[in-house]
Amino acid sequence: MIVFDDVWFSYGSREVLKGISFKADFHERIAVLGESGGGKTTILKLILGLIVPDKGKILIDGIDITSLKEEELIPIRRKFSIVFQEGALFDSLPVKENVAFFMRELLKLPDEEIYSRVSKLLSRVGVQEAEELMPEELSGGMHRRVAIARALAIGKTKMFLYDEPTAGLDPINSERIISLIKDLSDKENIGFMIITHVVYVAWQLCDRFIFMKDGKIIFDGNKEELISSKHPSVREFIKELFFKIKEY
Amino acid sequence: MSITDKIKTTLYELQSFYLLCLHSIFKLFKKPFYFDDLIEQMEYAGASSVLIVSLVCLFVGMALSLQLSAELSSLGLKMYTGKIVGIAVIREIGPLVTALVFIGRVGAGQTAEIGSMILGHQIDTLRVYGIDPIKKVVIPRVIASVVMLPCLTIIGDLVCIFGGYYIAVLVSNQSGSFYWSSIIRELTFQNVFSGSIKPFIFGYLISCISCYYGIRTKGGAKGLRISTTKAVVTSIVVVIAMDFILTRILLYALGFSL
Ligand SMILES: Nc1ncnc2c1ncn2[C@@H]1O[C@H](COP(=O)(O)OP(=O)(O)O)[C@@H](O)[C@H]1O
Ligand SMILES: [Mg+2]
Repeated sequence: MIVFDDVWFSYGSREVLKGISFKADFHERIAVLGESGGGKTTILKLILGLIVPDKGKILIDGIDITSLKEEELIPIRRKFSIVFQEGALFDSLPVKENVAFFMRELLKLPDEEIYSRVSKLLSRVGVQEAEELMPEELSGGMHRRVAIARALAIGKTKMFLYDEPTAGLDPINSERIISLIKDLSDKENIGFMIITHVVYVAWQLCDRFIFMKDGKIIFDGNKEELISSKHPSVREFIKELFFKIKEY
Repeated sequence: MSITDKIKTTLYELQSFYLLCLHSIFKLFKKPFYFDDLIEQMEYAGASSVLIVSLVCLFVGMALSLQLSAELSSLGLKMYTGKIVGIAVIREIGPLVTALVFIGRVGAGQTAEIGSMILGHQIDTLRVYGIDPIKKVVIPRVIASVVMLPCLTIIGDLVCIFGGYYIAVLVSNQSGSFYWSSIIRELTFQNVFSGSIKPFIFGYLISCISCYYGIRTKGGAKGLRISTTKAVVTSIVVVIAMDFILTRILLYALGFSL
């Protein structure tokens, strides 16, 4: 369970979040929507304890993480599998080593074990042929898949966090990433929080939608509520949906 | 921004810089150690810099010798060229020129690399999985710089003196064996010590400054440009100022009278 209780955050004198509150269960499928620069990535970083809010509480499974030390945050962070914006692969390491990285550094497994797991993970996300390539040689879609494979490498996770998983991808590759995200969650019934500014992506994947604007949450609800929302900014944002979906 | 805000942010920045410097020392002996990263950084900072350091030092040595020969021969003191080149290069010019080349080649590279790791969320990824970026990213670079800059300085000194030799002997027609014997006479403990303590300190300062600005990078390509520029400018100023301070301290400590 993730709880944000009146969270304020600023970078220097620039206020990014102004009193964010929400509750989310690990099995939920949540989309965080909003314009670029609206503070969406900041929310992810707060959940992981990478930055500390100026004010307010953040509870993960009942533990207030805002006052924890770096070592104490490790078990909290292990509850999540995170795929950062643009994948964040280590560009000095080949794909294989990227996926192997945390198994080697943290789990200290023997080499054969690591590499057999790596090929399993890579074929699970559908890029087994890329093992030996360097990140800069990958296409956008493959890059994202490898990043997802690396996030899976750590093992048991309670929730996936995806930051703009389809940004910069062509429609076909976006489709593929979307169905991969769905598959991964369906199999073990794990929830996710996906950050995006494309409403249609969120619509295909999620049952709960959180809209951010100017550092505040202006909407939080399910599909029906989203469609019937009267908030002008939300309506503006979901306009494109009406062309793509027929059931409403 | 008001004056008080400026003072506040400056103090805050200084504080976080000192913290980084301290952490890079205190965490040195804590497990785990990242030897692969260390080797890679040493390769980059050391072996790949030899050529450029040699090239720059060669020309500096030649120019120095040229100036001295011209000036000294008009006074009839040409035979002092070797002595002065020796003192100047070993104590001052060798360490300083090598450090400046090192800033441009290695320091700027470290800032740019760490900065793009910050912007690409690679550092965040390390932290998420409980890997301390100071240990994994900063310390290998600091060690590589502290070890490699002195080595480069020795090579730079040598090449500088060779450049001086070339001009003194082949252009200014001085005696080669006399040039070498006056250089060797300058290889006293005082001179060598005051020249070889500097690069350790310069290496530490350059890598701490470069890593610090790399870590603080924000705001895309423009932010990367700003932090790289700041790192290089700050390093140059700090190294040259530090050179003066160290020279003063060393001259005093080693008993030279002014
Ligand atoms: N490290 C940082 N330092 C200063 N400002 C930042 C930093 N990271 C992000 N910002 C600013 O904070 C705001 C919110 O950023 P972010 O959460 O990344 O937005 P989003 O993910 O919604 O596009 C942006 O305006 C951005 O410029
Ligand atoms: Mg973002």
